[in-house]
Amino acid sequence: MSEYNKVLKENVWYNNPVFVQILGICSALAVTNNLTNTFIMTIAVSLVTAFSSLTVSIIKGLIPRKVRMIVQTLIIAFYVIIVDIILRAYLPGISKALGPYVGLIITNCIIMGRAEGFAQSNGPIISFWDGFTSGLGYLVVLMVVAFFRELLGFGTLFGYRVLPEGFMSWTIMLMAPSAFFMLAIFIWVAKGIMLRKEAK
Amino acid sequence: MKKESKLYVVIFTFVISFVFVFILALANELTKEKVKINEELFQRKAILSAMGIEFKTDKEAYKLFDEKVKVEKIKDIDVYKSNVNGEDVYAVVFVGNGLWSTIRGVLAVNKDLTRIIGIDFISQSETPGLGGRIEEAWFKGQFRFERIKDGKIKMIIGGTGKGDFNHENGEFEAITGATRTSEAVAAMLNKYLSILKNLLGGELR
Repeated sequence: MSEYNKVLKENVWYNNPVFVQILGICSALAVTNNLTNTFIMTIAVSLVTAFSSLTVSIIKGLIPRKVRMIVQTLIIAFYVIIVDIILRAYLPGISKALGPYVGLIITNCIIMGRAEGFAQSNGPIISFWDGFTSGLGYLVVLMVVAFFRELLGFGTLFGYRVLPEGFMSWTIMLMAPSAFFMLAIFIWVAKGIMLRKEAK
Repeated sequence: MKKESKLYVVIFTFVISFVFVFILALANELTKEKVKINEELFQRKAILSAMGIEFKTDKEAYKLFDEKVKVEKIKDIDVYKSNVNGEDVYAVVFVGNGLWSTIRGVLAVNKDLTRIIGIDFISQSETPGLGGRIEEAWFKGQFRFERIKDGKIKMIIGGTGKGDFNHENGEFEAITGATRTSEAVAAMLNKYLSILKNLLGGELR
């Protein structure tokens, strides 16, 4: 059990895919001006990462080294399209709101990174867990960024108005560059906490 | 067979692609009907709300459409007709290029083309949170009973950020941070207003 705990801590904090490994930044900039979209997107990423790591781990003995990257990409694309099909058939409203972003999960480097770096050399169940917790690490950071962007940009949280009607919204928060600033501040704070802990 | 031999690589790649693509095709086939129904429903709901006919559930929308809306083909274009609160309303489905993708929606007007009754969108893939906000109620609400001036509707950039709800000036506010998508919507609406003028002026009046 401690092994699972270690993987969780590594992926969510000490080796977080976003603020330590700086992966998946592209989507971190794009989807984070709205909490609802961010939440569904990050959950989808977590599931795709978990299942593709599981699949890669199960068939890793059969994959020739030469084509392993291509096969990983195939597996990832497979799960992303499955997610897309399920959303379109059973949750059409959400599928509509997310639009092109579901398809773009394929290009998220975190998924490929976990498949190549972990699932390729570990057992299926721990790989599934590793993939899922990496997704959680991604979820946490993006939700924090989205919280501030939606709050300051629209004055709402999950679409509900929390700041008073007269609040002057910060237009910059709706544009992609603001995610750069938010992410940088996040990394600064997180690293600061980490270094202080180490010094003790 | 050796795992790194050329033959194995070719066979393995073929088999694994076949298996995954087969499952995908299967899943797509199984959900095809459902997706089609969803799309049909989206279109019906969009037409109803553009015309200002209220409905609560999806089922009600499906039924109301059959009861209240008639389809008429004028010059090969489907024109939807209804009577709302004693006034004749006409609507067409419009299609055009947004910033990233095709935007499809519904434009409803009154009989003598002096006012837009309402607009709604069927499908779009604009940036969620920016251009995608054309689907939000306040944006669409700007067009409700908006006066058409000189057969056109005008876009304002840098307004209050809350929308233009003076329905006599023939203007609407662009979405902050999504000016290009708003421009595209304005261009589409103006194009279809002239198409509608052509259609309705020709045969209905």
